[in-house]
Amino acid sequence: MSRAEGGGAVSARRGLAPGDEERPRAFALLGSQLAVLFRRRRTWAMLGALALVPVLIAVAVRVTDAGTPGDGPAFLSSIADNGLFVAFTALSVSVPLFLPLTLSVVAGDTIAGEASLGTLRYLLIAPASRVRVLAVTYAGVVAFALAATLAVVLAGVGIGAVLFPIRDVTLLSGDTVDAGGFVLRTLLLVGYTSLSLLGLGAIGLFASTLTTVPVGAMAATVVLAAAGQIADALPQLAWLHPWLFSHYWLGFGDLLREPIAWGSYASDALLQLAYVAVFGALAYGRFTTKDVLS
Amino acid sequence: MNKAARWLPALVVSAVVAAGAVALPAVASASSAPPARTPEQVLALVAGSTDVAYSGTLEQTSDLGLPQLPTSGPGASSSSSDAASALELVTAPHTARVFADGPTRLRVQVLDSLAERDVVRNGSDVWLYSSRESEAAHVVLPSRSSATPSPEATTPADLARRIVSAIEPSTRLAVSGGSVAGRSAYELTLTPGTSDTLVGHVTLSVDAATGLPLRVAVTARGHDSAAFSIGFRSIDVSAPSAETFRFTPPAGTRVTTPSPAPSAPALPSGLPRPAVLGSGWTSILELPAGTLDASDSAASPDGLALLDQLTTPVAGGRALHTSLVSVLLTSDGRVLAGSVPVETLESAAR
Repeated sequence: MSRAEGGGAVSARRGLAPGDEERPRAFALLGSQLAVLFRRRRTWAMLGALALVPVLIAVAVRVTDAGTPGDGPAFLSSIADNGLFVAFTALSVSVPLFLPLTLSVVAGDTIAGEASLGTLRYLLIAPASRVRVLAVTYAGVVAFALAATLAVVLAGVGIGAVLFPIRDVTLLSGDTVDAGGFVLRTLLLVGYTSLSLLGLGAIGLFASTLTTVPVGAMAATVVLAAAGQIADALPQLAWLHPWLFSHYWLGFGDLLREPIAWGSYASDALLQLAYVAVFGALAYGRFTTKDVLS
Repeated sequence: MNKAARWLPALVVSAVVAAGAVALPAVASASSAPPARTPEQVLALVAGSTDVAYSGTLEQTSDLGLPQLPTSGPGASSSSSDAASALELVTAPHTARVFADGPTRLRVQVLDSLAERDVVRNGSDVWLYSSRESEAAHVVLPSRSSATPSPEATTPADLARRIVSAIEPSTRLAVSGGSVAGRSAYELTLTPGTSDTLVGHVTLSVDAATGLPLRVAVTARGHDSAAFSIGFRSIDVSAPSAETFRFTPPAGTRVTTPSPAPSAPALPSGLPRPAVLGSGWTSILELPAGTLDASDSAASPDGLALLDQLTTPVAGGRALHTSLVSVLLTSDGRVLAGSVPVETLESAAR
């Protein structure tokens, strides 16, 4: 988060000359947004930390014994038998904490980070409407959600293949799928987990428009992610559960059944869409009425 | 555009989302009322539905007035204590998928968070599988039970007549139209003729087209919503693929082959048999002294703590109150249970 990186953000957007064509400009803005996101050392540090989760799990299982079935996180006891389960174990460990945490950092930093670095006004001087700036910023958050999930899954499959034998994967229902089925379900899993984070990303984007202190927006988003999961664990709040953005986070297990239970995918998509719509509209209201002074 | 107008989308979107959340379930449950039938005809419909093929999602909910334990997250009750898991099975909501093709092919999948418990029956082969423990059990049913007294022995109508005549004196029967999982259904309501029981009424919803029971709900006396209900959230009446009923234990699974359950209730020998006091809705089950100690010989401190937490001291022992069932543990070791108020159990225990 140095000044130098902020300068990079500006120079990356210098290609937006007023005379550019309408459509290419929208993609140029998106491209520069992604370039800024993935050129930051912090982004790579977070993706690396996420990739360390499966590595840590795999090494721990390798150097000790697998433990008795039923203990520890889901799928842990299957790892010694089949390295591909490292990806599933890592995902079920990362979904409640590490993925929301890193996503909150990225989402909370979006608008507030630009504002605190003084680069937001340059962004708005360029002939792009604030709506488009907001949309492109959110697209960056979506890209990070996908990259973060992929980092966990790919590192998990990789380290599992190195340290353990690989064979056909046993689903939760006791049926077995071959390599093609595994790849299909893993892609669905990545899609599901990234989708599940979109609501939180929209909340983070809204929080980011409220302040010029990025740490404040990040902290607020992380706290909400934790509070959502605590509320989801309390049976006394059962009436609230279907409305919590974190309610279906661990529902990715439904993709590992035979036949696939699509119910939670559909409910999750609808729920996240509602969150994106509501908090996107709130962020629009805030961002388009805000006086940008820095 | 003035500043207030920029907030308009936020207002509109929130309103649309809220309206959608209210309207969607209402649209899904709309269906036409079935033609009128008598309770006996509805029961005959049920008795004739043994060879229906379907797949669906079952949902079980209960509101028995028992304390609930967190079911997910860091504080979840993952203790392997039998008492706690039995309690969890009754008090916590569950979702299961059911696939059936005729009377001998059935698969039930209890969907837990990141785990699953399966029961697969294909002819006389029955497999039980638990993904969390990675255990499978294979039971071959004795041949006589695959040729159980065939439904042809008594016609569905006969069976229905017999059921009605058995329950009619103590119970009032009524049929109304309703809908479950988007299908039009008959709702057969059984209301106890006595007011001494905790049960208010039992509602059995029967699919009007196939006769398949779709939902059972038990409502406690004086309550509006069901204390216990199990029913389909969605159902599709077409034959599931034959693959569904084929089960091969996956590699790395511990497979056991327990001997088929004996036909008599599995009570350890040497124990006195339970007695039933009274009849009908107000009958009370009495386990003689010593039964609890013997069956709870492995009672962990965990289980005892759970017992203390659930029961309240009453005159003559400790009692468990729920909205549907009362259990009295007398100080001399007897256990009385029934769908009656605790006071009735106390007077029966004297």
